[in-house]
Parts: sequence; structure tokens; C-alpha cells
Amino acid sequence: MNDSETVQSKISARDRAQRLMNRLTAGIALGAVAGVGALGYVSAATIPGSTSSSATSSTSSTSASSTTPSSSSSSGLQASSGSVSASSSSGVAVSGGS
Amino acid sequence: MTDQLLWYTTRAAGAVSLVLLTAVVILGVLSALRFKTAGWPGFLTTGLHRNLALVTLVFLALHIVTAVVDPFTHLGWLSAIVPFSSYYRTFWLGLGTIAFELLAAIVVTSLLREYVGHATWRVIHWLTYAAWPIGVVHGLGTGTDAWSPWFFTLTLVCVAAVGFAVAYRLVAGSRDPLAAPRASFRSGVERKSEQ
Repeated sequence: MNDSETVQSKISARDRAQRLMNRLTAGIALGAVAGVGALGYVSAATIPGSTSSSATSSTSSTSASSTTPSSSSSSGLQASSGSVSASSSSGVAVSGGS
Repeated sequence: MTDQLLWYTTRAAGAVSLVLLTAVVILGVLSALRFKTAGWPGFLTTGLHRNLALVTLVFLALHIVTAVVDPFTHLGWLSAIVPFSSYYRTFWLGLGTIAFELLAAIVVTSLLREYVGHATWRVIHWLTYAAWPIGVVHGLGTGTDAWSPWFFTLTLVCVAAVGFAVAYRLVAGSRDPLAAPRASFRSGVERKSEQ
């Protein structure tokens, strides 16, 4: 009877410790999630990096937009230069007449 | 805004990983010392050590994934796997990759402990003592917040805590109740093999 009580108390102590371990693990994991939020806020407040970030994004968008005109301007230039040479030849003919 | 959120998450998850890893190392030292009290049985230290190691890996994964997918840094997945392959702060980032891979090796061999054998597991587990300082140096070398007062204080507290635990471990020696019989058995085996 006495041995049985000892065993039971050991079992309940082990269960208590097991529950404590689960609670501690869950608590630390939740605390770590909250820590990411809190430290993220602190890091944003200390080194926001908004200037360099926005400058870089605007630079990349500028370079992207400069690529587009260069590809379109190459085809546009060729077409317009052809028509200019055609009109200049007719202009020479007019000036020669006067 | 999203890019900045990724950047803040990378930095915060790195700091939280350092704290968690520090706790894992201290709990490892405590379990080596077979620490227990009336309300804190020995298996609680070992179990918490194992659980927190897994939680640490989750936050390290968050740290790495947010750094890799951040379009501002565009580090690439290769730099997360192959050490010293990053164009950005090659050496410091490479240390982070090594620390993560050491931890991954420790966790994987711990989960497969019965297959790899105790001796192999024990040797690999000693790598924790290398992974932690490598992680600290990585944070100081490449971290945006490395010299910010809050992060520097956090790092100092972590270094002091682990330093104290390791020093105590060295001074206290082994609390393994089977240490003496095991040592005499080993010396007996060695004597027999010499004959």
C-alpha cells in the first residue's frame, strides 16, 4: 500500500513536470513570436532604412523605365529617319524650281 | 513597405534566434550537469533543451527565409546553403550559413540518434559549442543592428550567460553517476588490448 502511494506520487510528479515542460515550451515559443514583433519594432525605430530602401526602389524603377524607351526609340528612330529623307528630297526639288 | 517588413523580420528573427540558441546551450550545459531540484526533475531540463532546439530552428528558418526572399538583398537560396557563396558580406554571411548547418546536423542526428549511435551523436553534439559562437560572430559581423545599443546589450548578456554556464560546467566537472565505473571499465579494456 505504501509502495503504491509512492509510485502514484512519482507518477503525478512526473505528470506535473511534463505539463510544466509543455507550458514552458509553448510560453517560450509565444514569447519568441512576440519578441520578433517587439524587436522588429525596435529595429525599425533605431535603423528604419526607409531612405535607402525607397531610393533603391526608385533607382530600379528608373532603370526599368529607361530600358523600355530605348527599345521603343530604336524602332521609332529608324521609321522616322526614312520619312525625313523622303521629304527632304522633295524640298530640294521645290527650291530648285524657284 | 513589404520589403521593409521582411527586413525588420529578418533582423528581429535573428536576434530572437540568438536568445533561443543561448537558452538551448545553457539548458544543454545544465543537463550535462544533471541539474535537478525537488520541483524540477532532470528530464525537464533535457526535454526543454530538445523542444527549444526545435523552436530555435523554426525562428532560424524565419530569419533565413525572410532574408532570402527580400528583393532588396536578393541573396539567393544558394548563399543559404553553400557557405561563403554570397556576394554580400561573403565572410560574415558564410559564418551564418555554417552555424545553421551545424545546428541542423545536431538536430537531425538527435532525431535519428538510435540509428547513428551514441558516440557519433555525442561527437556531433559537441559542435554546438562551435555553432553558438559562430552565430554570435555572424550577428556582430553582418547584422544591421550589430552595434545598436539594444542588440549589443542583448549579445553581451547572451555571451555572459553562456560563458558563466560553460565556466561552471568546467569547474563542476561531470555529475554522471556512472562516470567512475565507466572510466574503470574503459581503462580495463585498454589494459586488456595492450596485453
